[in-house]
Amino acid sequence: MMVQSKAARLRRAIIAWVTVALFVFPLYYWITVAFKNGRDIFNQPPKVFNFSPTVANFQEVFGVSFGLPRNEVLAGGGDFFMAPHLWSSVVIAVFSTILAVAIATLASYALSRIYFRGRHHFVNWVLSTRMMPPVAIAIPMFFIYKDLSLLDTYLGMILIHALMNLPLAVLMLKSFFDDIPTEIDESALIDGASRWKIFRRIIFPMAKGGVAATAVLCFVFSWTEFLFALTLTQTSLKTVPVVSSTFVTSVGTAWGNMAALGTAAMVPAFIFILLVQKQLVRGLTLGSLKQ
Amino acid sequence: MHVTEKKFSRFVSSDHPLPWLAPLLAMLVTFTIYPLIYNIWLSFHEYAPFKRRLEFVGWDNWSTLIGDDRFWASMGVTLLYFAVVLTIELILGLALALLLDSEDFGFGFLRGLLTMTLVVPPAITGMMFLLMEDPEFGVITYVLETLGILSSTQPILASPSTALMGVMLADIWQWTPFMVLIFIAGLRSLPQEPYEAAMLDGASGWQIFRRITLPLLSKVIAVAVLIRGIDLFRMFDYVFVMTSGGPGTATYTVSLYAWQQTFSFIKWGYGATISLVTLLVIIFIANLFIYLAKVRW
Repeated sequence: MMVQSKAARLRRAIIAWVTVALFVFPLYYWITVAFKNGRDIFNQPPKVFNFSPTVANFQEVFGVSFGLPRNEVLAGGGDFFMAPHLWSSVVIAVFSTILAVAIATLASYALSRIYFRGRHHFVNWVLSTRMMPPVAIAIPMFFIYKDLSLLDTYLGMILIHALMNLPLAVLMLKSFFDDIPTEIDESALIDGASRWKIFRRIIFPMAKGGVAATAVLCFVFSWTEFLFALTLTQTSLKTVPVVSSTFVTSVGTAWGNMAALGTAAMVPAFIFILLVQKQLVRGLTLGSLKQ
Repeated sequence: MHVTEKKFSRFVSSDHPLPWLAPLLAMLVTFTIYPLIYNIWLSFHEYAPFKRRLEFVGWDNWSTLIGDDRFWASMGVTLLYFAVVLTIELILGLALALLLDSEDFGFGFLRGLLTMTLVVPPAITGMMFLLMEDPEFGVITYVLETLGILSSTQPILASPSTALMGVMLADIWQWTPFMVLIFIAGLRSLPQEPYEAAMLDGASGWQIFRRITLPLLSKVIAVAVLIRGIDLFRMFDYVFVMTSGGPGTATYTVSLYAWQQTFSFIKWGYGATISLVTLLVIIFIANLFIYLAKVRW
């Protein structure tokens, strides 16, 4: 934006690197904990670089302790066989994302293109559903799910996570559709194309990047969600955030194991979010720029 | 006959918004309106442990709530948390967005690194900060003690005066980058002409920020504050894993209080009442903000 001198640019770069380093440090430290043995974790002063790395934590967490009877060697005696929970989280996140994005894409196309009375009130109402505290939904949902035997099911979790993401997905997708000039629709309408055809053939392909960015955000929010997963799953089905609390035992917290699970759980979400960085940086204005 | 048919087909054509919005409407009504009504119904009932069923109790839950000191304490904690964290995340987020919105070498990489905090489940973030703020071997504790800010006898999360700050730190770490992303998205979409004009007039960097960037960005800021503010008011994950509300009531948020009343103390009706009041407060504050900041979509 501004023409800056070389010294100013250098100073800015240094400040930027230092600040980002401060933000990344907790993550870096957490990842080192995953590769530390017990003694290094509890060392004071904390060991930041000079620890002896080990993959034992990952082996324990994902059930591949070579030749060791799994349940005997682990702190608290808990079952640390975590790979199935990682899989459950993936299934829930993927399907709730597909559902949320499909519903939100249709709705936000209409909210962007087809005028009807009270349209902005409708958008406000969609946002206001996000004002419901998760507790206020989780408590009745617990009883409703109990009656419908949806507790502990993939379907139940997928539905509730899709719902949770809908308001933000609608706002975000609407801003991507708003970016596409309406003249395109209008000329196609004059040529006799139906709205559906215009959406499918022209507008949707143009908004693909935005849809991808929205999908990634929905995936991340479902992947990291805690309260619904805690309340609406009881025994068999558990997601990664909920299951991480099993490392807190009466004998102490298995920090190394927990960090190993946490580290493994970050990888897929981080890859996704990097892939759509450019679109995220465009779409996150959440429709606030129109008018 | 013919007329009604025509009238009906008007709604099923893709020119009408209804077919597009129907799935969204169905989801939102089932999962928000229905729970809302169920909650209101539940708030006039209470679980009777000996009879093992819900009994009608009239306004009992509501009158208990008004005289419940722990509830009002949790509301105070929530409001304080909301105000402090929102202010810090807004100012820090804006500053970082201005800092990182550059095409210079390496800045794209830095923006990517910063978004890493978003993919950590908040429950795990809570654990991360629990470890780092541990009184014996936590790295943050160590740094603060070395700098002489914290005495070694004062555990961050177990002292009433610092516990909430310890929790806030986790929130600020995790969500400031979200604000940065929104603001960078906003900055990228601003028109260039006002900046060119200001440069010709020889305006200073601060003047440009104050007179051009801030007003142009105000709508983006308003939406970011709204979205983030709503989330802050409903905060649950960090206190649940880091402090469970303690010490005393120092970190009890309304969400945590409602959850505990419902699932730990089996007071289903009372939990529903607390969550309803929380909803009312959020709706009031959010709509006041939407009205004052003139947020429109």
